[in-house]
Amino acid sequence: MSTAPKTVQSKETPALSEKGLKAGSVGLIGAVVIGVSCIAPAYTLTAALGPTVSEVGVHLPAIFLVGFIPMLLVALGYRELNNAMPDAGTSFTWATRAFGPWIGWMGGWGLIAATIIVLSNLAAVAVDFFYLMLAQIFSNPALGELSKILPLNIATTLVFIGLACWISYRGMETTKGVQYVLVAFQLLVLGWFAVSAFSHVANGTAFDATAISPDWFNPFAVDSFSSFAAGVSLSIFIYWGWDVTLTMNEETKNPEKTPGRAATITVLVIVIIYMTVALATLSFAGVGESGLGAGNPENQSSIFAVLAGPVMGPFAILMSLAILSSSAASLQSTFVSPARTMLAMGHYRAISPRFGRISPTYKSPSFATIAAAIAAAAFYVITRTVSENALWDTITALGMMICFYYGITALACVWFFRAAAFSSIRAFFFKFLAPLVGGVILLVMFVKTALDSMDPEYGSGSSVGGVGLVFVLGMGVILLGVVVMLVMYRVRPEFFRNFSRRAGV
Amino acid sequence: MRYVVGYTANARGHDAVHLAVALARNHDASLDLVLVIPEDSPYNAVYPPEAGYDDILNEQAQRWLDEGLALVPPDVTARAHIRRGDSEAQTLIDAAVEMDAAVLVIGASNNGLFKRFSIGSVASSLLHSSPVPVALAPHGYQRTDPITRLSCGFGTRPGAEELLNVAVESARDRGLPLRLVSLLALDGGSSPGMADAAWMHAAERLAAVGSSAVEGSAQAAEADAPEPEIVVAQGRTIEEAVERLDWEDGEILLIGSSRLAQHRATFLGSTANRILRALPVPMIVVPRDYTRQGA
Repeated sequence: MSTAPKTVQSKETPALSEKGLKAGSVGLIGAVVIGVSCIAPAYTLTAALGPTVSEVGVHLPAIFLVGFIPMLLVALGYRELNNAMPDAGTSFTWATRAFGPWIGWMGGWGLIAATIIVLSNLAAVAVDFFYLMLAQIFSNPALGELSKILPLNIATTLVFIGLACWISYRGMETTKGVQYVLVAFQLLVLGWFAVSAFSHVANGTAFDATAISPDWFNPFAVDSFSSFAAGVSLSIFIYWGWDVTLTMNEETKNPEKTPGRAATITVLVIVIIYMTVALATLSFAGVGESGLGAGNPENQSSIFAVLAGPVMGPFAILMSLAILSSSAASLQSTFVSPARTMLAMGHYRAISPRFGRISPTYKSPSFATIAAAIAAAAFYVITRTVSENALWDTITALGMMICFYYGITALACVWFFRAAAFSSIRAFFFKFLAPLVGGVILLVMFVKTALDSMDPEYGSGSSVGGVGLVFVLGMGVILLGVVVMLVMYRVRPEFFRNFSRRAGV
Repeated sequence: MRYVVGYTANARGHDAVHLAVALARNHDASLDLVLVIPEDSPYNAVYPPEAGYDDILNEQAQRWLDEGLALVPPDVTARAHIRRGDSEAQTLIDAAVEMDAAVLVIGASNNGLFKRFSIGSVASSLLHSSPVPVALAPHGYQRTDPITRLSCGFGTRPGAEELLNVAVESARDRGLPLRLVSLLALDGGSSPGMADAAWMHAAERLAAVGSSAVEGSAQAAEADAPEPEIVVAQGRTIEEAVERLDWEDGEILLIGSSRLAQHRATFLGSTANRILRALPVPMIVVPRDYTRQGA
């Protein structure tokens, strides 16, 4: 019998060097597909186009273009941080490193809150289009109306959230083939929608044919700074996800060139599709507040649910299918993110270590995934019950939340690299100027939107106790974060006292 | 000789380690505990990207493997490996092939509705594609003492001959008593004629294999191993037949994979699957056309 020591590590495969992503497996097209799928254009357009039109009217194209600038600036800083400190906590860890545990904790909270809010919105959009698709399949509009019955709507949404949670818990993933098909299908259907809308305009069969004017592209023509800020924070949401292309690295076939090129191509694809669809929508429907007009508050929560039928005729079912499939896929993959951030926070003992548990069977964050599902479900139930238009208000609150945690992350980048900021032109631009300008813009947008949203007429016009619901949702979530943080400080002060020694980067 | 153990940090993984220890103690084998952690598909589009999750997962996997190694008694050598892969089954097979393992040991799923064995998805894919024999630990397998008797499930299908070879050699190497369990009569009711025919058939096969084995190896003296016992399992159903047989605590059943299997891959036929559900002891499923690697 051999009695060699038992705890020998595998010689053939040094366990710790194995990375979770297959190195060199993603080419340029693959990286673009990943970028587009993270943005999920069909879903973001249907969710954000209406609310943005309500703020900036025909200047929608201008705001969509301008909105990309702070996203780009912040993403450049995000990439620097990701290269210097790759960590599961992302914003949480980076902001903790730069500004200490308190702001770091809130950065992490902002990221988790944003992803939780988008989960509940994704599920709600998926449910709307699920019923709409049933109506289209059976040619029975009554089925589409089912999603307006509150208890049924809430029940179906909870089922969708539960299913996505279960899939994520089981560690099942969207494969390459599925993702290619989903992305191609989305782009195809959005293109189809735009072409149909323009041909209606050309044939004189459009609802409210409106001639495209250069003024639409002028961001300075937006009436007020309030509208401008609201529009920009919404368009941050439509580009949210694009920065994934910049942070790709070893998994690409050519880490030197692929991420940069993929980011450029992705943004071109996205801007072209956004511009085309935005112009098509405005030309076809105008911004009138009645009927199919894009200014009609009835239409704004989910613009394609209303417009796809008149524009695409019987093929509108493809739009439902595209949005349903893309939001369902995003729902599942988005679950991974808050779960992992909570896992990291649990791991560093910033919250209960229970959140750091990993399922032995499926090797996925167990407690954190279920917690994310419960939070998303609770957020949806509350919003849906209180708000007249839950989708609209959640998207506006989401825009605020993204501005908040992105702003913190960008400034964390500036502060963290402050010593190296003037060491080279490259460092000055990527580690200092870009994130500084981006972060400041986003935090200004955040503060402005927060102040404006106190008005009970803001967003969909829902209010709680005389204060706008968007403010209550947005600031409520942030205040809740402060409360939880203070409780955590009482319960486990170690994290707040010596984070830097604990995590030891 | 190496045994690869598909380890997970739950009851299923513990069952597998216990069985692997029991098998290794007869055979002076060393264990390789392999923990498979999933490989993220970049196409899953996880956003925001979280690069450091791997480190936390690896750290956890390391701790799990330490727990796994702690289950192995000091007289058995064991090593631990973390492997990454999309499919747990495929990753285990790759590890077993790469390490030239004599057997791949796994636990049956622990959350099944059926008693003892219920095949989890990992076990099921292994049983359908492994080129290496797969040892399945029943739910709650605690025993780590050496195996005391080897049974061999025996039928008329092609491949029975090879399986019998494996069983005879294996029993001889391990110095274990061999029992042939004829499954011929299972579906045909309990007519005494059929039972006799099955007995005769098994004895003939055994004689054939035995004589060729003696020719092949001079050391395999008849005196070393006691005469193999032959029993015919009877019952109205396969499950009943299996339950009626008497099983020693330290017994293990060797069974061949179905004739549907591709060359050199295990494939658990419906009969084997039903046996599995009724069986109180571990079983090893041997791929078709498998020839044992050296003693």
